[in-house]
Amino acid sequence: MIKCVVWDLDNTLLDGVYLESAERPPAVNAALVTVLRDLAGRGILHAIASRNPPDAGQYAERATDHAFAAIQCGWGSKPTAIEAIAAELGMTAHELAFVDDDALERAEVSFRLPQVLVLAPQDFPAAADWPQFSPPAVTDEARRRGELYLQRRSRQEEARAHGGSRDDFLRFCHTTVTIAAAVTEDLPRLHELSVRTHQFNSTGKAVGEAQFASLLGSAEHRVATVRLADRFGDDGLVGACVIAVGARRWQVSLLMMSCRALGRGVIDALLAWICRAASDAGAAEVAVTCMLSPRNVPLRIALAGAGFRADETALAEGPRRTASYRRALGDVLPAVPDWVTVPG
Amino acid sequence: MTAEAAALNGEIRQLLAEITGDQAPLRAPPDTPLLRDGLGLDSLGGTMLLTEIKRRYGVDVADEDLNLDSLASIGALAAYVSARTGAVGRPR
Repeated sequence: MIKCVVWDLDNTLLDGVYLESAERPPAVNAALVTVLRDLAGRGILHAIASRNPPDAGQYAERATDHAFAAIQCGWGSKPTAIEAIAAELGMTAHELAFVDDDALERAEVSFRLPQVLVLAPQDFPAAADWPQFSPPAVTDEARRRGELYLQRRSRQEEARAHGGSRDDFLRFCHTTVTIAAAVTEDLPRLHELSVRTHQFNSTGKAVGEAQFASLLGSAEHRVATVRLADRFGDDGLVGACVIAVGARRWQVSLLMMSCRALGRGVIDALLAWICRAASDAGAAEVAVTCMLSPRNVPLRIALAGAGFRADETALAEGPRRTASYRRALGDVLPAVPDWVTVPG
Repeated sequence: MTAEAAALNGEIRQLLAEITGDQAPLRAPPDTPLLRDGLGLDSLGGTMLLTEIKRRYGVDVADEDLNLDSLASIGALAAYVSARTGAVGRPR
């Protein structure tokens, strides 16, 4: 599924070459901007990678009347610009499409970043109908996605200026994380998260609304949601977990978080709350069943950081390798920061 | 420590300094933890680190080290990469 389209400017999004007509920059390509808007309505982001001075990006934002999630204007290579955009947005290469009129640029990107979907401008309007550009569930959170990534841009600019520790910065941003029991209204967003999250997803499987609904009604399960906000904006429902609650062990069968919450303390807060709640309920252990994929490395780093250890002997081999990451609750429990609200 | 291992150690410290935006990794003791209370690396920083290590040295830590024990400390990570790149004379 494509999450972000990276646009070239000269002779692609613009009908001409920016620097050749700096006095009166070229107009935008109306057909492509129509497609761009359509995709934005489906929750797909847009970014710019252009060999131009930074003011070309600002011009493109004004001319298209679209605020781009990331802008890389400079003289480096397109693959380098695309990698920087992926890092800034917390995405992997296979979640990106790249549109450029220059065949050599397209070839260089295809060679260096084979997972990126590379398209010529004339092919793009038809490609927008491909399933890669049609997310199955589009919620309000998804429609607001472009706006949310803009807030992320401001947040990152402030973080660079702020210095100090990460916790200081999260406090400075008035970060609030709210963990609560899931309710029926959350079902569409829970389903969407299960489809769209990869870097922080323990199973990598889509879960239908009906499946979540039956878990909400189950006495043996807890489904918890995580919401995130700070002074830059409200990100809404960014994460969730499904826990099979046993007397001795809490088994987390699904843990997922949107990558836009990456680096903001959310997954650590959720893991800390799970451990504390399990301990309060008298359980001796928390276990997280986790698929081993190169895509969910961020989740596995968070698990390692929270003191979870994988049981190598229980490693299930096959097309989907999984491991059980466990943490005993006898020793010191992870701290839940003061900006986190937990279920009462 | 061989010259190659010492060079690798320095490179990894430099990389950590770039990711954390702090000079502390350049002079921290080798047993300083990378995550949390150590160098304060979070999952985003950890992922950037592992991506760069894979790109530079061809060592896929995330695939090989299930528990990410190699992230236990600066020294553990340098030793892990060193052992797999042959910098200490062992075959890959």
